[in-house]
Amino acid sequence: MAIDPICKMTVDEKTAKFTSEYKGKKYYFCAPGCKKKFDLDPAKYA
Amino acid sequence: MQHKGTLSFKEAGSVPEPEKKKAELKITGMHCATCAVTVEEALANVRNVTKAQVNFGTDTAHVEFDPSKVSIAALEKAVRDAGYEVINREVVLKVGGMMCATCVQTIEAGLRALPGVIAANVNLGNEQAYVTYNPSLSSIEDMKKAIEDDGYQYLGIAGQVSDEAETAARNADLHDKLMRFSIGFAVSIPLMPLMWVPLGIPMQALAYGMLIVSTPVFFYVAYPIFRAAWTALRNKTLSMDVMYAMGTGVAYVASVMGTFSIVLNADYMFYDTAIMLAAFLMLGRYLEARAKGRTSDAIKKLAGLQAKTATLIRDGKETEVAIEDLVVGDIVIAKPGSRIPVDGEVVAGESYVDESMITGEPIPPLKAKGSRVVGGTISTNGILSVKATKIGKETVLAQIIKLVEDAQGSKPPVQRIADIAVTYFIPVVLIIAASAFIAWYFLLGSTLLFALTALISVLVVACPCALGLATPTAVTVGIGRGAELGFLIKNGEALELAEKVTTVIFDKTGTLTRGKPEVTDLAATGVTGETLLSLAAAVEKNSDHPLAQAVVRAAQAKGVAIGDAEKFDTLGGKGVRALMLGKEMLVGNRTLMQENGIALPEGMDAKIRAFEQDGKTAVIVAAGGQVAGVIAIADTLKSTSAEAVRQLKAHGITVVMVTGDNRRTAEAIARTIGIDRVTAEVLPGGKAEVVKALQEKGEVVAFVGDGINDAPALAQADVGIAIGSGTDIAIESGEIVLVKDDLLDAVAALELSKKVMGRIRGNIFWAFAYNAALIPVGAGILYPFLGFVFRPELAALAMAASSVTVVTLSLLLKGYIPEAKKKDQRR
Repeated sequence: MAIDPICKMTVDEKTAKFTSEYKGKKYYFCAPGCKKKFDLDPAKYA
Repeated sequence: MQHKGTLSFKEAGSVPEPEKKKAELKITGMHCATCAVTVEEALANVRNVTKAQVNFGTDTAHVEFDPSKVSIAALEKAVRDAGYEVINREVVLKVGGMMCATCVQTIEAGLRALPGVIAANVNLGNEQAYVTYNPSLSSIEDMKKAIEDDGYQYLGIAGQVSDEAETAARNADLHDKLMRFSIGFAVSIPLMPLMWVPLGIPMQALAYGMLIVSTPVFFYVAYPIFRAAWTALRNKTLSMDVMYAMGTGVAYVASVMGTFSIVLNADYMFYDTAIMLAAFLMLGRYLEARAKGRTSDAIKKLAGLQAKTATLIRDGKETEVAIEDLVVGDIVIAKPGSRIPVDGEVVAGESYVDESMITGEPIPPLKAKGSRVVGGTISTNGILSVKATKIGKETVLAQIIKLVEDAQGSKPPVQRIADIAVTYFIPVVLIIAASAFIAWYFLLGSTLLFALTALISVLVVACPCALGLATPTAVTVGIGRGAELGFLIKNGEALELAEKVTTVIFDKTGTLTRGKPEVTDLAATGVTGETLLSLAAAVEKNSDHPLAQAVVRAAQAKGVAIGDAEKFDTLGGKGVRALMLGKEMLVGNRTLMQENGIALPEGMDAKIRAFEQDGKTAVIVAAGGQVAGVIAIADTLKSTSAEAVRQLKAHGITVVMVTGDNRRTAEAIARTIGIDRVTAEVLPGGKAEVVKALQEKGEVVAFVGDGINDAPALAQADVGIAIGSGTDIAIESGEIVLVKDDLLDAVAALELSKKVMGRIRGNIFWAFAYNAALIPVGAGILYPFLGFVFRPELAALAMAASSVTVVTLSLLLKGYIPEAKKKDQRR
């Protein structure tokens, strides 16, 4: 299980629809809002 | 002129202009012409606002601004800072796909970024978004897009608080006013006799008692007046409220001073007067607000035509959805008796559709697969499946509503006189009030009581409320009435110009005439008329020339059997040839007959000439080298053309006809309908020149045309009257749009304009008359002669009466039936 870096929810990597890659690491999100926020400033949350 | 502005804007399409957007704001709290001016100034002073126009009658502000630089919130703030409120629409949307608080923030930010959204609050728990917005800038469609662009699902509308919000605000406001004046009267009426009836209580004790009873009541009743006055002063303007506040304030303060014997003594007891005055002012506002609410009924009627929900077929299942949730391409079902929710095309089913609300045609036409239907019309007897082609703001009905709303919000130039008068009015009144006081007290040595009464009366009687209501109420009611009668008047300026029209130019084809040639006469030789038609139709059915089609239509209409012809051939402009039962058939003009060596029988030539004299086209039919007869074809007149021309002439208006046809045909038609001035052989682009030439001679010209090809002439004319059958092109091109295809409506529109303008002048007269007559009375001018002085509370009543007079006079327009329409009503 991964942790959504924005809202700290647990996300199942297998079913997660919203993901981003930053510096080679894959991040999983609960919903598009969190992904959007992360993508705007990934350094802050990674 | 507005339409010319738009036209030149289109022409100058390549020149980058700052982006402009128009928004409509619903304002509350205005109760005087000066309020409207204050709001207008407040909006106009916001940077990058290019135009602000406030209609006091409908409580709306029309603002033109650059949306990239000004937000709707900034406009609202300007209105609020000026002391008024803006009413918005609210909607609750269902949103899917939200997981956490970040989603909430994302969606809220996305919604708030829309130009018309003022507030957006998303509730994660029940998956709903509560949006406050201005519908003239952002639609629900835009919100849907914003939500989807953020990666979430828009699941439809959960609830709409829209229309009710406005009604609720209005009712609350009315109730508030009702309470204030009722309490004011309830307290002041019993107080009044106390001042005169000896009660055996010492005057001083009575005064203290009055002070205690009156003070809270006075402040409750007069609070709105003082608040408005304060707002005006803060905005550095002198509104009428400042004058009322002074009038009632002076009465109250004098009473307090009397009570405590400061300068004045216990004779100066105006407590009852102060409260009653405030109560009368509130009563006036209450009556005014009530009357105002009724001026825009026409819009409510039109809006009532719009279906609220639609039965949608998605994935083979019927679902009921809100009208806002439809998209172009959706298939909706209209059951018998229900309104068709959108403009669209019938894909299945058959039904007679009642379109009378849009086109005015009383007979419901049959709609079947492929037919176009208009939203708001009613399917009478069958089920129709309709594919939506236009939704929301794009529908014909929505455009008509928009047009009427915009028009009702516009001011005819005559209103400017009233606006200017208002700005000079207040200082003048203040000077008169002060002079009256000085004259009575210092020069004529009357009592302070008397001088104060005069001062207060002048301040109170001078309200220009009626002046502020004179134009907007008449325009709103008048344009609404026009919409009910079947013509849309686009703005106040059109009303004013329509009244002045001296010349009406009619386009011939499609306007005076049906624009579709019809067979009018048959002259057969040796055969029956039916045989002649049958022979001609057999040949002509192979051609798509309009004259040929007229022959075929006539044959079908008469139920004549149409045979088959072979070897059909067109002979370029002269006619056609074909073989029928081995005989050579020729259908065409004289030249064709001459070239084929066919002689015209005795008397035939004279007949042909006579037809041509009447503006008809003569088609000669020859079979096997023998002339069988002549068919006369002409573009037939609409049934009301002659009557419309006659009525215009009766109004002393010059009637002119323009056409591209040859002079002889044109004059023949003109003669039949009684037009004596004809400009024929005009090239399509030349009609505008004809209009211009007449304008240069000093005529005020109205041009009546069908809107599509007459656009330049419609634009050039002082008043363009477009005949449309509810099509959007027609709506675009004229200042006045006739919804039905009836020229008498053009006459009716001119008559209504005249009536409305007359009413506006009458209203302005009454508004001024009240003030002009009563200010001197209030100042005490009658006292030396009649011993009569105006009590301040009578002044307040008179002022309310002037507003009520004006609004009532405007409301009378609701029942106005133009002369040209009277026959309709009897029919």
